[in-house]
Amino acid sequence: MSLFTLAAAVPIEAEPILTKLHGFFGLLASMTNSILVSIILVVTLVTWAQRATRRMQLIPGPDQNFFECIVEGLYGFFEGIVGHHMIAKSFGLLASLFLYIVAANWFGLLPGVGSIGWHEHEEFIPLLRPTTADMNTTIGLAIVFMVFWLIWTLQEMGFVSFLKHIFGVKGGLKGFMAIALMPIFFFVGIIEVVSILIRPVSLSLRLFGNVFAGENLLTTMMSLGHTLHFPLWLAHLCSVLLPIPFYFLELLIGVLQAFVFALLCAVYLNLSTSHDEVEAENH
Amino acid sequence: MHVLTELFENFGVDWPKFLAQTILFLIVYLILRRFAFSSVINMLEERRRRIEEGQLNAEKIKKQLAESELRYEEILRKAHAESKAIIEEARAAAEASTNKEIQRAIKDAEGIIAHAKEAIAIDRQRMVEEVKRDMISLVVNTTEKVAGKVLNQDDQQRLNKEAAQALAS
Repeated sequence: MSLFTLAAAVPIEAEPILTKLHGFFGLLASMTNSILVSIILVVTLVTWAQRATRRMQLIPGPDQNFFECIVEGLYGFFEGIVGHHMIAKSFGLLASLFLYIVAANWFGLLPGVGSIGWHEHEEFIPLLRPTTADMNTTIGLAIVFMVFWLIWTLQEMGFVSFLKHIFGVKGGLKGFMAIALMPIFFFVGIIEVVSILIRPVSLSLRLFGNVFAGENLLTTMMSLGHTLHFPLWLAHLCSVLLPIPFYFLELLIGVLQAFVFALLCAVYLNLSTSHDEVEAENH
Repeated sequence: MHVLTELFENFGVDWPKFLAQTILFLIVYLILRRFAFSSVINMLEERRRRIEEGQLNAEKIKKQLAESELRYEEILRKAHAESKAIIEEARAAAEASTNKEIQRAIKDAEGIIAHAKEAIAIDRQRMVEEVKRDMISLVVNTTEKVAGKVLNQDDQQRLNKEAAQALAS
């Protein structure tokens, strides 16, 4: 019972915060606390980027320098994975994914996020919820990437080459061996297609699972004293002291998960747009 | 497919929220790509180009400096050689001039000495003549006073002759 209570500290769905609106404004009734956080993030990121790049100079000021440092670091990192031929196209998306996810993950660690809200029907509704702890966000990010992945892959390889890349006989086999192994490679191609289709689900579930688990962990640590019926003063003390180590852990996980997401996206892009195999076969 | 739908339903995924989140991310992506990343990448490229240019210029300047140093050393060596030659020439000229001056001085000195000798000889001769003359007149006068008579022309000539012979010996 206690364990179940601990595990369910944060509801799995983002809570609507404008349920009382009707009429024309009823369109906003689907507005959830995670969408509100996403709006805040959009404004914050755009403002930050705008401030940093408003007056670009060869000798940068502190804002420009910090922004350039991040962009340059990410550019070099992603260029090493997707290759020189794809970086110009894909950098914007990969860097945006990374920055957006980092900002979203760390936003969840700010005081008040998940803890300031109100009660409705004896249920606590937080005003703000980390947007990556909402499956709608993570699946949205993954699907946006997969759409761009498909476009760029087809642009880079062409439709026929793409089909050959998935279903074709690999390893430079020719003649009888190629014909004999064709059914096997076709079957491997089907598995490849399934794995491609599963990618958005795996990407989104991984990110959501980690952030949601982190949120639960922090909420559980904060309320552990109350759950275990400690004296009030001790419960308050525990709610301050116990989460501190986990905040550091979540800081690390926040950036790590963003890296994992963006890194996997870059790797998927590299796998489908790399010319190595085609070139190796031509030689 | 049914499993996926059920999974998404269990996780609270529905179209309006999904679309809202997707659109919000796309807004971030499009704005950052259009206004932030492109300008930063252009700036980085510009800086890289300038650094490359700077390095090339530095290489060029280094090469020019090395050439200048070589030229400088060459000029210095030439100047050194020329100055040495000039000094040698000056020294030779000075020596020649000194020798010439010394020769002239010796010659002048010899001339002066010869003139002096000549003048001395003349003076000596003149003095001897004067002394002779004085001695003769002294002898004549003394003889006149001793003899108590006025000597005539012949006596005087004889006395003069004797005195001159005595002085000459």
